[in-house]
Amino acid sequence: MKDSALREQLRSEPAEPSLPQRVHRLEEIRREAAHTGRVEGVGVRLAGAPIPVASVETGYYGLPLLKEPQWSWEIPVYFFVGGAAGAAAVIAEFAQMSGAQTELVRDARTVAAVGALLSPALLVSDLGVPSRFLNMLRVFKVQSPMSVGVYIVSAFGPPSVLAMIANRLRGRMPGMMLKMIESSAGLFSALCGLGMATYTGVLIGATAIPVWNKNIDSLPIHFALSGLAAGTAAIQLMGHEESRALNLLGLVASAGESLIGVKLEKAPSPANAPLKKGTSGLITRAGGLLTGPLPLALRIAAAFAGERRSKQIIRMAAASSLAGSLLTRVGWVRAGHRSAQQSNTAASREF
Amino acid sequence: MSATTAFLTDSTLCIGCKACEVACKEWNNLGDDGLAWTGFSYDNTAELGHSTWRHVKFVEHPPEIGHGGNSPEVSSWTFSSDVCKHCEEAGCLEACPTGSIVRTEFGGVYVQPDICNGCSYCVVACPFGVVQRNKEDGRAFKCTFCYDRQKAGLTPACAHACPTESIKFGEIEQLRAEAERRLAKLKESGMNDAVLYDPKETSVRGTHAFFLTRGDPRQYNLPLKPEVPTIYTKQGWKSAAIGAGVLAAATMLAFIAGDNR
Amino acid sequence: MGTSFGRGGATTAQQDLANSDAILIMGSSMAENHPVGFQWVIEARKRGATIIHVDPRFTRTSAMADIWVPMRSGSDVAFLGGLIHYVLEQGKEFREYVVHYTNAATILRDDVKLPDDLAGIFSGWDEENKKYSPETWLYKDEDPKPDAIKPGHATAGGGHGKDRGGEAGDATKHETDPTLQHPNCVFNVLKRHFARYTPEFVEDVCGVPKEQFLKVAEVFSNASGPEKTAAICYAVGWTQHSNGVQIIRAAAILQLLLGNIGRPGGGILALRGHASIQGSTDIPTLYDILPGYLPMPFWESDAHTLDEYVKRHRSNSGWWSNFEKYIVSLLKAWYGSAATKDNEFGFRWLPRVTGDHSESGYWLDMQDGKMEGLFVMGQNPAVGAANGRLQRTALSKLKWLVVRDFVETETASFWHDSQEIENGELKTEDIATEIFFFPAASHVEKEGSFTNTQRLIQYHEKAIEPPEDCRSETWFLYHLGRRLKEKAKAEPIARNAGLNALTWDYPTEGPIREPVVDAIVSEINGYKTASGELVREYTELEADGSTACGCWIYSGVHPKPGHNLANQRKPKDYLGHGWGFCWPSDRRILYNRASARPDGKPWSERKKLVWWDESKRQWTGQDVPDFGKETPPDYRPDRKAEGIKRIAGDQPFIMHPDGVGWLWVSSGLKDGPLPTHYEPLEAVVENRLYPQRASNPPAEKKQRPDNPYGYSLDKRFPYILTTYRLTEHHTAGGMSRSLPHLSELQPELFCEISPEMANEIGIRHGEYATIMSPRGIIEARAMITSRMRPLKVQGRWVHEVGLPYHWGRRGLAKGDTVNDLLAISEEPNVRIMETKALVCDIRPGRRPRGKAALDELNAKMRQTA
Ligand SMILES: Nc1nc2c(c(=O)[nH]1)N[C@H]1C(S)=C(S)[C@@H](COP(=O)(O)OP(=O)(O)OC[C@H]3O[C@@H](n4cnc5c(=O)[nH]c(N)nc54)[C@H](O)[C@@H]3O)O[C@H]1N2
Ligand SMILES: Nc1nc2c(c(=O)[nH]1)N[C@H]1C(S)=C(S)[C@@H](COP(=O)(O)OP(=O)(O)OC[C@H]3O[C@@H](n4cnc5c(=O)[nH]c(N)nc54)[C@H](O)[C@@H]3O)O[C@H]1N2
Ligand code: SF4
Ligand code: SF4
Ligand code: SF4
Ligand code: SF4
Ligand code: SF4
Ligand SMILES: [Mo]
Repeated sequence: MKDSALREQLRSEPAEPSLPQRVHRLEEIRREAAHTGRVEGVGVRLAGAPIPVASVETGYYGLPLLKEPQWSWEIPVYFFVGGAAGAAAVIAEFAQMSGAQTELVRDARTVAAVGALLSPALLVSDLGVPSRFLNMLRVFKVQSPMSVGVYIVSAFGPPSVLAMIANRLRGRMPGMMLKMIESSAGLFSALCGLGMATYTGVLIGATAIPVWNKNIDSLPIHFALSGLAAGTAAIQLMGHEESRALNLLGLVASAGESLIGVKLEKAPSPANAPLKKGTSGLITRAGGLLTGPLPLALRIAAAFAGERRSKQIIRMAAASSLAGSLLTRVGWVRAGHRSAQQSNTAASREF
Repeated sequence: MSATTAFLTDSTLCIGCKACEVACKEWNNLGDDGLAWTGFSYDNTAELGHSTWRHVKFVEHPPEIGHGGNSPEVSSWTFSSDVCKHCEEAGCLEACPTGSIVRTEFGGVYVQPDICNGCSYCVVACPFGVVQRNKEDGRAFKCTFCYDRQKAGLTPACAHACPTESIKFGEIEQLRAEAERRLAKLKESGMNDAVLYDPKETSVRGTHAFFLTRGDPRQYNLPLKPEVPTIYTKQGWKSAAIGAGVLAAATMLAFIAGDNR
Repeated sequence: MGTSFGRGGATTAQQDLANSDAILIMGSSMAENHPVGFQWVIEARKRGATIIHVDPRFTRTSAMADIWVPMRSGSDVAFLGGLIHYVLEQGKEFREYVVHYTNAATILRDDVKLPDDLAGIFSGWDEENKKYSPETWLYKDEDPKPDAIKPGHATAGGGHGKDRGGEAGDATKHETDPTLQHPNCVFNVLKRHFARYTPEFVEDVCGVPKEQFLKVAEVFSNASGPEKTAAICYAVGWTQHSNGVQIIRAAAILQLLLGNIGRPGGGILALRGHASIQGSTDIPTLYDILPGYLPMPFWESDAHTLDEYVKRHRSNSGWWSNFEKYIVSLLKAWYGSAATKDNEFGFRWLPRVTGDHSESGYWLDMQDGKMEGLFVMGQNPAVGAANGRLQRTALSKLKWLVVRDFVETETASFWHDSQEIENGELKTEDIATEIFFFPAASHVEKEGSFTNTQRLIQYHEKAIEPPEDCRSETWFLYHLGRRLKEKAKAEPIARNAGLNALTWDYPTEGPIREPVVDAIVSEINGYKTASGELVREYTELEADGSTACGCWIYSGVHPKPGHNLANQRKPKDYLGHGWGFCWPSDRRILYNRASARPDGKPWSERKKLVWWDESKRQWTGQDVPDFGKETPPDYRPDRKAEGIKRIAGDQPFIMHPDGVGWLWVSSGLKDGPLPTHYEPLEAVVENRLYPQRASNPPAEKKQRPDNPYGYSLDKRFPYILTTYRLTEHHTAGGMSRSLPHLSELQPELFCEISPEMANEIGIRHGEYATIMSPRGIIEARAMITSRMRPLKVQGRWVHEVGLPYHWGRRGLAKGDTVNDLLAISEEPNVRIMETKALVCDIRPGRRPRGKAALDELNAKMRQTA
């Protein structure tokens, strides 16, 4: 244990009551003891306080019961990149199927492929022993979202890249063959993309960390929408501000994120405190704002604005969504840390 | 198939000498975890972690004149030696994506250091906050249940070092029975606050390291209702399916509704 | 214990505690400091025994006890006196045992006076020389002794040996009154003496509420009698007081009254400290005794001829009638063929004690520049000894210093890293001491033995070779001796005669010429000088030079070649026979004849141990009988019988001339025949019993400018200071503060104070506090805990500061040295320092650094009330 952490622990004890209060309480306890022969709990801020105590209320000296997540910065970034790429793969596929602009399809495929390449890189670099990444492919465990996830990431990469390459080549040399490759690889990539955008919610939800675990029902949806918002935004910023489909998608994503934001804000569970309080609360709330209400409002505003203005506003909305989606992931991971730190029994867990 | 073994750690016999903690470190060649004075009674190592696999907790309550710690009426200073619970359903084992964590022939939960890649997923999957990754080394560590010693027919180092038999090691069913007997005896002597901690009713379905403590287990950071987090995966995948559905549907509709410019 | 029972060692074995019905642990935190032995206390608890812990603090031992009673440091005699009073008052003594096995019935002289008569002193006090003459303490009708063998100690002597005249010399002459009616029989004197130790008195002096005291008294005395036994465990919480020996005397009286000595589950267990600290008094590293508790000859009185010396120390009856055999055999072992009857077996070659050469004595000499050099082997006085500042500055006055240890301890580093270097008192460049640091081999790197707390000699083999230049003690001392002898041989002056005569011919083996330890053990065991044949027991030793023996009490440890009983590893019974060798003669429970009734039958089936087997006409049982194996219970000596034959068949304490345990000690103690309450040398309250005599009269304060004390009831230092150990560290810390696995467990010095006290001085948990005594200033983290509590003493609340004393400036876990606060002082009998009850002041915040720290202390000392 680090000295600084301990110091903080000592400081974070509740404020010290006044001297007469302490003496009074002490007397009270001694009387109670003399009378009944025992005293329940510690319950007194003794003189000289704060003295850390071990009790039902505080747990063991207020120390965390759970271990904090040990992921480094790569993981929230990966959540963000993977989510956006997954959504982009889906967008690319539907765009192609619906015969959308070739540029749009191309850019969507690019986002998906770049994300698909970045994702494993981020994952590997987070590992304590990166060289052993392949150990994850020794086994397949349905009950482990991490295991399932690793297969999703691994499966997502090749088709996404293939689809992108096929797409790019088609620009230069037309041919049935390439089209077929692109659309079948694209389809596979989109299917994996759906997994990419959602599984991370299961991954953190199915843990002992209270704030994650308590929200396992909404997390995958939240992450899917966040990914959608980011994916859409990324493609739009490549010059597709005027795509109605993308604008609609953006609207849906930000509206959905707004709803989820409201739901989280309203949830009374003390386990959700890290989503509202402290740095982690600030970040998640900012993330929520930037992916939910703000782009929603902007996009609505854009609908009523002139063409040039509208394009600017859409760009702003997209940038906001991108930033928001990243912040959301960072926020959630941070909230997980906070949640673990506060996991001294009753304080944050309902067990 | 070897016999399934277990620990019964009886804090009513523990003198807080920390010999178990030191013996474990010596046997397993673990480092110290910093020289910080905590002020948490006599506990300066504070918690289990990658370099502390046995850890003795000190819980203080104001003593009363005439009552020692063995007095049934007043529980004043109790020591409890904590360790990985070797859960019947182990969160860490379920979650581990490499299969590094396995159940041994002795029923213990064992991290194979040559497989672990340090993904740290077990860390967040343990409902008791036991396993931890060593940042320098990169891999996750926790009590091995002295697999090496058990293999050689020896008692785990911690139990071997305990001078008061506060840590009992043996065949699990026999130990469970012993724990019940001991609990009954303590209650008989008037120690009504004695509890046997072995969460059998939750999804953990009991442990291979159970504890006899005095007072509410929560003051020792033992959760009342620990759950194996992977029981939630089904629920998780269900909402993932919904999420994926929403994502796909929204995209499809958008492209149908949107013009194809 | 030596004076009360006859031998200065624990009367019982730790395993035997399991048979107790009640165990009183007082003056020790056994669970923390003797955790392995404590398993037997836990075992007793499991079998239904009540464990009582009396300690100023609620410790890990209290946490294992059924009853904990906090008591003010330094009030032990008051508490135990209260127990004695309770037993006598309630008639709870074990009458038959007391009448037959103790000197309760012996009648004392009419002119003996108790402190109640003389305002705090016994008769015989010499105010000028601050010492007692024990003449009036003798039994009635005891002949006064000629001057040469007058009872009592030599001035310079410690109390470790059997330093006594022939008190109780003629057992047939004493008058006794077995009905215990005579007003001057020991029993009634005892009653009178302890009359004032009422429960109210205990409450007033110790701060123990009356009801709680009575609870302890009741439980403990009810657990004694024919069917039950109770034991007492103590350690340095009792010994390290200015009246330490008298505290243990009080315990001895209590146990004799309750009939708890020599019986299973009874006894007094002196918990010794270092792994072989018992061994280091048996084969002593002390200045005042020779191996086997034979006194070292003194310059002044008894030292001139072997005859005079023997006459002074031999007694006519009891085991010590064999005294001459042991000293002559020892001299034969040392001087070999050079020791002959004509030259008094070389007695004149033995060095003589010329003054107080105890540790405190010579350290003061060192400070005064009277010493040239010093060997420090296996000790770290710069941290472990009292008045650290004096300890370290004294080292700087030496010409040379040799330190043998595993790590560079504070004692070896004083010249470049010490408090005095920090505050500018010492400057490295001014220190002329030449320091030699030798790396030592640890116990796993060498062969040898430990003698533990229960007199058990346990042998250990070498597990690994010592690395590099590390050498064992035997190697170092043997080769040092060898070289010195070589030098002496070249220089045949008178002073060297002893050295030249010394046999020093141990065989060696291996490339570094390691001495063969087996040869040393054989010499300790003893052998016939003519044939070299090993003796089987000390009963075979003779006074005519036909036997040699390095330490008579260890005799029997190596009875045949290749037969080292200390190396036995197969325990056969619960007492552990078959594991190691327990001196004397593998007796695990001393005075065990007392476990049978005077007629030789066990007191009860439940508590039988050794009894008379009429059919075989011998003593038998679970232990080696501590009695003449074939002396029947009805044996009565005739008037002319001498030596051990003078001891009757129902007198279990064979070391004593009168064969009984001594409630009253007529001589052998320098501070009185009975314990009585005195306050510590530094006290925060006055002595309730004798306001004129605050502290133990003959205790020495060694007060001088570099060892200062405050004035009486000094208002500048209003709190009691007590020091102790933690399980996690070992003594001065050289062996634990250098190890990460132990250092992390207790990384920093802290002080324990009660919430009430924290309130009074305004200090918060976890912050630093500065603690001052007249001698030093240190800082420690504040651990505020209700395990400490103020006690109401003489109508006011008394607060106590608790400090574990393990820290110093070297190693991994560093901290201020608590012993900088302590004073060098000497208990009169064994010259131990007072560590458990002193005074201090405390304030929130860190201490100043460097010279400013000294300034603050000096400013404090200049303050007046
Ligand atoms: N772990 C560990 N074990 C050790 C040692 C070690 O350093 N560490 N040292 C060894 C050595 S060398 C020794 S000598 C022994 C010592 O063993 P102990 O005597 O048990 O050691 P201490 O802790 O010094 O003191 C014992 C108790 O005396 C209490 N005490 C203080 N003042 C008084 C008083 O006035 N009266 C009474 N009745 N009690 C008082 C203290 O609160 C403390 O709990 O331990 C040995 N064992
Ligand atoms: N305030 C206060 N002071 C006290 C006490 C107290 O209760 N309170 N207790 C006192 C008591 S009981 C004691 S025993 C003393 C202890 O005080 P010391 O004896 O001065 O302290 P230790 O740290 O035990 O020193 C022993 C040294 O021997 C070394 N050593 C170990 N084995 C060997 C070996 O085989 N060979 C050699 N050459 N060296 C070896 C160790 O490394 C260590 O440095 O402290 C005393 N001081
Ligand atoms: S306690 Fe934690 S680390 Fe140990 S087996 Fe259970 S889940 Fe795994
Ligand atoms: S850190 Fe190692 S043991 Fe833990 S889940 Fe990952 S691979 Fe398994
Ligand atoms: S079983 Fe072995 S690894 Fe586990 S705590 Fe005990 S000594 Fe350590
Ligand atoms: S070794 Fe045994 S008695 Fe000591 S702390 Fe560990 S469990 Fe308790
Ligand atoms: S340190 Fe050694 S001597 Fe002391 S209790 Fe432990 S095992 Fe026994
Ligand atoms: Mo000691």
